[in-house]
Amino acid sequence: MEAAAVDAVVDGLKKSGVDFISLMPDSDFSVLQARVANDQHFTYVPVSNEAIGVGVCAGAWLSGKRPALLVPTSGLLEAAWPLTSLCMAWSLPLLLLIPYRGDIGDAFWLMGPYKDTTEPLLKVLNTPYRVISKNEEISKAIVDAQGSTISWQRPVAVLLTGETIK
Amino acid sequence: MKRFDCLKSLAAMLDPKTIVVTNIGPISREWNALRPSDANLLQVNLGLCAAVGLGVAVSLPHRQVVMLDGDGNLLLNLASLADLANQNLTKVVHVVLDNESYEGGGGLKSATAGKADLAAIARGAGIANATVVTTVDEFGIAARHGLDHPGHHFIVAKVEKGSVAKLPTLTLDGKEAKYRFARYIESTEGVEILRPRYTHI
Repeated sequence: MEAAAVDAVVDGLKKSGVDFISLMPDSDFSVLQARVANDQHFTYVPVSNEAIGVGVCAGAWLSGKRPALLVPTSGLLEAAWPLTSLCMAWSLPLLLLIPYRGDIGDAFWLMGPYKDTTEPLLKVLNTPYRVISKNEEISKAIVDAQGSTISWQRPVAVLLTGETIK
Repeated sequence: MKRFDCLKSLAAMLDPKTIVVTNIGPISREWNALRPSDANLLQVNLGLCAAVGLGVAVSLPHRQVVMLDGDGNLLLNLASLADLANQNLTKVVHVVLDNESYEGGGGLKSATAGKADLAAIARGAGIANATVVTTVDEFGIAARHGLDHPGHHFIVAKVEKGSVAKLPTLTLDGKEAKYRFARYIESTEGVEILRPRYTHI
């Protein structure tokens, strides 16, 4: 992830009021993750799997924080059960930021299956999402998604692809 | 040792403002009967009691947080213990009511009926204050110690399977639990949680 994209994500998170970040360390977001980990604006809770991350964010939101979960592409599958048993069942908001590995143009063969799982899974989970491919679109997409997740009381995702995760 | 007797002992020593996060199943029904309160976050599903408790405790570090976990719930996401330990929490008592079974799911044995030792696992994860109790008196002493001393306390209470008769039915679902708990936090912390937006951003 290039500096311009990282700056845009952090800008969007701050403009949208996000003050709590949970994440599972991941290569695609590693520069971003290091940035938010060292930014005092955010309460930072790294977790050992994404299911735990959903639970942590639920507890944080219920306690007055504005959390976002940075989810590796494959980790969305790990998060699926708590997104169902907690976020869907309790109607809880959650901003999900997901690098869209396996999108068209991603040449790594191992990422291919995530084209088959990522968007269909978000649809099954009744989670609205935007796919963002330009750095200039990142910040507003995050602000919009955060506003929607709070109003709708259900998770909303931003998938980052193209130049945004180069 | 009966789980209900442990919970009764704990309920008698809690400050009304103590936040309690509980495992789904009989623990929630028993706790609701003993300590009905909007400071309870009841019925947290498998694998998530410790995770939700972690989110609450990190967000409200000045508030006493008690987690009433189950062995099956915790076993599903054991890594929660490592993630909890790394936050260096100072006002957390994490109780596992370990009946060595999935009581709410039919009663088959859990891994703690075999070789798994949750207190040892917790210590290995970095939670130094981890103990096992087998009597209600021991439980009461451990819980009192955890509430009175800063730190992150982990108590495994070895309990029998089975609940008590005539527990009140738990009538709230997750959505009502959300509103009640969030409104309670709003009123006690002076924060705004539930505020729908009315305008385009």
